[in-house]
Amino acid sequence: MHAQLVSFIQVLRANEVRVSPAETLDAVDVAATLGYADRVLLRDALAMTLAKTPEEEAVFLRCFDRFFSQELADFASAQEIATTRDPTAPPPAGNGDPAAPRYSPAEILQAAAADLPALQALLESPLLRGLMDNDRNALSLAMRQAGEQVGLRGIEMFTQKGQFTRRILDALGEGHLRAAIVDLEQAGSTALPALQRYRDLLREQVRDYVEREYLLHAEGRNRQFMDDILSRTRLNNIEQVYLHKVQELIRRMARKLASRHSRRRRRLRRGQLDMARTLRRGIAHDAILFHTYWRQVRREKPQILAVCDVSGSVAAYAKFLLLFLYSLQDVLPRVRSFAFSSHLGEVSQYFEDYPVAQAIEEVNWKFGGATDYGNSLQDFAKLALDDINSNTTVIILGDARNNHGEPRLDIMQGIYRRARQVIWLNPESRRSWGTGDSEMLRYQSACHFSAECNNLKQLERIVDQLLKSTR
Amino acid sequence: MAGPAQENQVQPQDYPQLASITEIETGFESHGYIASRKIATAVFLAFQLRKPVLVEGPPGVGKTELAKTTAALLDAPLIRLQCYEGLDEAKALYEWKYGKQLLYTQVLKEKLGDLLHGAKGLAESVARLHQFGDIFYSEDFLEPRPLLKAMQQEKGAILLIDEVDKSDYEFESLLLEILSDYQISIPEIGTIKARTSPMVFLTSNNTREISDALKRRCLHLYIPFPSVELEERIVRSRVPDVDARLRHQLVEFVHSMRQLDLKKLPAISETIDWARSLLLLHAEHLEEELVRSTLNVLLKFEDDIEAAEAELRRLLHSSATAASGSN
Repeated sequence: MHAQLVSFIQVLRANEVRVSPAETLDAVDVAATLGYADRVLLRDALAMTLAKTPEEEAVFLRCFDRFFSQELADFASAQEIATTRDPTAPPPAGNGDPAAPRYSPAEILQAAAADLPALQALLESPLLRGLMDNDRNALSLAMRQAGEQVGLRGIEMFTQKGQFTRRILDALGEGHLRAAIVDLEQAGSTALPALQRYRDLLREQVRDYVEREYLLHAEGRNRQFMDDILSRTRLNNIEQVYLHKVQELIRRMARKLASRHSRRRRRLRRGQLDMARTLRRGIAHDAILFHTYWRQVRREKPQILAVCDVSGSVAAYAKFLLLFLYSLQDVLPRVRSFAFSSHLGEVSQYFEDYPVAQAIEEVNWKFGGATDYGNSLQDFAKLALDDINSNTTVIILGDARNNHGEPRLDIMQGIYRRARQVIWLNPESRRSWGTGDSEMLRYQSACHFSAECNNLKQLERIVDQLLKSTR
Repeated sequence: MAGPAQENQVQPQDYPQLASITEIETGFESHGYIASRKIATAVFLAFQLRKPVLVEGPPGVGKTELAKTTAALLDAPLIRLQCYEGLDEAKALYEWKYGKQLLYTQVLKEKLGDLLHGAKGLAESVARLHQFGDIFYSEDFLEPRPLLKAMQQEKGAILLIDEVDKSDYEFESLLLEILSDYQISIPEIGTIKARTSPMVFLTSNNTREISDALKRRCLHLYIPFPSVELEERIVRSRVPDVDARLRHQLVEFVHSMRQLDLKKLPAISETIDWARSLLLLHAEHLEEELVRSTLNVLLKFEDDIEAAEAELRRLLHSSATAASGSN
């Protein structure tokens, strides 16, 4: 039973519930303490040990039900069908006993086996014995063992289902069954339909079994695969249908980044002992150091100003970048967001007031249009330049294509001088920077750091770096 | 993991109150805490496996109460550590008694002459000094704070680390050693092991993510808002004088209120408060006027009260039909 528990934990891991080896041991302890008798109790108790968030608990419950409620395969229907079919199919003259009106399929096969030694051997085999007696336990167990043997747990793609089904059938010894059917066919035996029926049933059950295992093991793995692919795809190439998935990815990413960084900003309030001061104050008490003095570590909290281009030329990216800004503002304190195309405005309030989809729509509607970087920078300076100080990080997201307008590099340089860090993320590839109406090379001179950023992996890496340096 | 039982450890048979899950349920009920099966299971496992329980859930569903009730049930001391931003080891673990240490050095200075009387040369003086134990840093000068205090209890204790999400990230790492091994390492002294491992409850309101390392060491118990039936039992045990019909109606009303978009949903504690106020006002059934005037017991924000008032008639109607439907 422990082996079962361990393989269940593997299923959980495939479904993104992180379970450490220590927790596996805990789970075994829990199961040993409570026993396996009360299923609901065991489920709740394991959920407490293995799932760490309400979301994980939901996944856990789903997996638990799927994993432990696998019914035993049922081979009973063979009996009825074969017996009812028997009298309707007029037995052609030949071997066997033509006069017998109602025999069970087992008996028919027994009779036929008298002439065929191969069939006789087959009937003795545990496989067919189990089929004929509808021994569900034995057959399910054999099926599971066969699955284990051929590595069904490693199933990854739905295209592998047929392959695994075949392998399991082979491992169960279905080959002999097939051979016997061929023999019966050649002999023109009446027992043929009964045996065929058994074969079909067996195949059906194995197929179902493979399907269930596929759902259990492969689904989670496929989802991880998919997330991985999505995070490497250029943002403007991601199909509309995957948008909601990306949204979820971004939110997860933002949360991860925030939890990795936000807390470390605060240092212990009590720093090192200030020896000089302590000694000085001790003089009054006959050099006894009654009062201790501590060097305080004081740190200003960093502030992030994020500016996002939402004009037509970067529309496809803007949606993601805004989404990212939204998530970032959600999880980090002191983030102010701005959006611009021909003019610029602060959008922090939209992000706070509306749910994400609506906020992005509002922002696009309000600020979308033709790009004018010069004008927008001027607006930005008016709105936020006074707030920019040595604790401020400014992130600009845009392609720097200014329609040949005045770039107002002087404002950028002003920002550059005041801010702790200016970061420019450009969705275009580095090679096209400075071509056509792109002012990127000029703006680059007024940035501490500029990078190409057009998929989620890059975005994550850059923001991670950024947060490290703002700490 | 339930390691080999150590000397002086509390054995499961020492506490018949925790012998089985049903036992716990009835024990809690006799102390006025109606526990769902899940909660009872968590307490049972926490005791059997000696693991801390991390209790999460919306405010007011009885997270802190769970620890208090367990302490009452076991008749064990409850040691509570309220977490807040900036909480550090000096306030949570231990502190040196600086004043006493200084006095000790004074005394030492005076006695030094006597001690070293007749010693020849520096080497001998130092050797003689070494014969005396270093008690400057010893348990005598240790001021125990809640966590250390919980370790020192002879017969075990219930340790409640309340609102652990309010503490700093660094503080969590401090807890790890205590939670997994029930011991505290003090650099100057060494490791202090718990005389009897305490039962630990941590509560969290989820204002931030608790680190994985901490979560991994705990049983994870999520207490949601209770079902109508469970909440009625809770109200009955806390406010027994409320008429059954009114009780049913008011619980239904609170439940339908939890469907609204509110800043802070009314929790069990609010339901109990409301039931008490209705009792004081001699209410027999829910009337619109009465509900409107007592709404501030249930809701804590002006915005919420306004939102609920707008929906009041509908809520009353739906809870009335739900109440009569199930009666």
